[in-house]
Amino acid sequence: MQQRTVTITNRLGLHARAAAKLVKLAARHKSRITLARADAPQKSADAKSIFSVLLLAATQNTSIEITVEGSDEELAMEALCRLIADKFGEE
Amino acid sequence: MRGLIRKLPEERLEGIGVCPGVAIGNAFLVDDPRGRVVRVFLPKEQLESEIFRFREAARAAQVQVKKDIERVRAALGSDHAYILEAHLLMLQDRTLGRQIENFIRVNHANAEWAVRDVTQHLLEVYGQIEDEYLRERGSDIEDVAHRIIKILSGKEQRSLNEMADNSIIVAGDLLPSVTADLNPRKVLGFVTGIGGWTSHTAIIARSVNIPAVVGVRDITERVRSGETVIIDGAAGAVILNPSPETLIFYTEERQRQQQQALYDIEERELPAITLDNHEARLRANIELIEEIDSYQRFNAAGVGLYRSEFLYSQAETGQPTEEEQYEAYKFLAGMVGDEGAVIRTFDLGGDKLHLDGFKTERNPAIGLRAIRLSLSVEPVFRTQVRAILRAAAHGDLKILLPFVTNVDEVRQAKKIISDVERELSDQNIPHEQRIEIGVMIEVPAAVMMAEALAREADFFSLGTNDLIQSLLAVDRGNENVSALFDPMHPAVLRAVKMVAEVADKMQIPVNVCGEMASNPAQVILLLGLGLRDLSMTPSAIPAIRRLVRSVKLTDAQALASHVLWMDTPAEVRHFVQAHLMDLGSELLAAAYPG
Repeated sequence: MQQRTVTITNRLGLHARAAAKLVKLAARHKSRITLARADAPQKSADAKSIFSVLLLAATQNTSIEITVEGSDEELAMEALCRLIADKFGEE
Repeated sequence: MRGLIRKLPEERLEGIGVCPGVAIGNAFLVDDPRGRVVRVFLPKEQLESEIFRFREAARAAQVQVKKDIERVRAALGSDHAYILEAHLLMLQDRTLGRQIENFIRVNHANAEWAVRDVTQHLLEVYGQIEDEYLRERGSDIEDVAHRIIKILSGKEQRSLNEMADNSIIVAGDLLPSVTADLNPRKVLGFVTGIGGWTSHTAIIARSVNIPAVVGVRDITERVRSGETVIIDGAAGAVILNPSPETLIFYTEERQRQQQQALYDIEERELPAITLDNHEARLRANIELIEEIDSYQRFNAAGVGLYRSEFLYSQAETGQPTEEEQYEAYKFLAGMVGDEGAVIRTFDLGGDKLHLDGFKTERNPAIGLRAIRLSLSVEPVFRTQVRAILRAAAHGDLKILLPFVTNVDEVRQAKKIISDVERELSDQNIPHEQRIEIGVMIEVPAAVMMAEALAREADFFSLGTNDLIQSLLAVDRGNENVSALFDPMHPAVLRAVKMVAEVADKMQIPVNVCGEMASNPAQVILLLGLGLRDLSMTPSAIPAIRRLVRSVKLTDAQALASHVLWMDTPAEVRHFVQAHLMDLGSELLAAAYPG
């Protein structure tokens, strides 16, 4: 199991386009991936469900805890963190 | 999906029959993507097939979105397709799918209701998100839900040219632009959720002689595309899921009517002469050039009313040019020959002209419309007059001014018309130099001022639809009061009588061009009140011809002078009905309870 906390830095936060990119990326991996808000860990989201990701309502500067568990967990974690650090390719 | 449509019991819905006749065909739903969804409680054994229906619809929705994505990518680049990609992910989202399937199972719900309920719940959750930008993603969820529901209920956005043969158009309301696109060969009938006898759909249906029922509440929620629907236009009824017996009954009825239509054609050359040898002139009201077929089929004696504003629904640029108008009017002139045609100048509201700074009116029926608009936006009026005068060089055309309330309006319009005439003469453009100009009598003020108007006008045209509406203060499009819109009201008959007397005294021709002229029970009164020149929807001509040929003018006069002084519309109606029965015209009275 891999766990890491990252900050959403793009201006618009996890809005539809960003969420769509994240969900598509997550869906390409076999591992189970959950996201949780650091300020409200009970609110966790299945990274492969767009509704669930949108419901996190993660705006700019929200800290997100990513948990990945499965055969390709390292790859998945790496890719997700890169996407988020990359501001979803938006800015 | 059609195979999964449940067999439901026969249902008979009542509306307003606006064009008689029976039609049996397949429903084709138009518009209304945000229509309400109806809750159906399903028996246990149907739940699995309902879930299958949902999955199929969700899959079809994905296919649609993928196509949309391709289209947007090609047209605008992939950056613009991201919203659609989010939609696609929503449709693929197993969380949503599972929730909807569960909802169907637990609540024995139909798929439409389940989609609506689950997504509504999601929307509420999104509504609580504080960030405004993220909260707005709710509209995407709504969008996705609409897409699935539309597919489930057979309401995919389809263009009208995809329509199959034998279609019955079902819509909340039909816009003029939509009706103008219809292929009359494929459409067997119309059903709409709102509207009345004189709504746009009604007028079009009658002009192309297609059975139609309007004002059938919630019709778009109760029928799916592809289902068999029967329209009984004379009874104002729509039958859904007809039983085999009903189907046989109406199939026979339709055959009988087709036979009648053949008789109509046989009788079309017979003169419209009363038993005591008085002739009536039966003319046609026309909206679209396409109606030429019905004009000739029913052997009308000229066009008593050409509603020129329908050119707006067909103009390519939204505003008919002088040349477009000229071609249409010239065509009309050629079509009617010696019988002539009366062109009513645009009866439009300000909204149609896209005027700068024009504010939506609270009450457009008594707003800036018709002659008022023509006089305040002179260039549009001048263009129309130029086109009419030029076309009138090719045949007998007359100008009719709508919605006149004031003699001054007629004087101003006549001045503009003579200006345009001079302009054409100066430019050596062939045109009619002395065109006849008529005035519509369709508001109480015009009735009161008839004598003064008669001094300015070459002829009168009695527009009973608007006259009844303003005389009785009834909005005929408002279902709450539309029953009060009553041509048999003694006040209406007395107003008609006043106009007929003034026209007689002032020696100018008067014609009736409202819908009263197409209703046999009302026509007998019009004849009795002194009107012989009637203009109506072409399909009404055979019945009116038969009526004229079966009455004596002296009887009609006696009848009219008797009911004129009755107290209530009901008394008038009963008396006239009884009279029609005496005449042996039971069929007419039954077909048109006036």
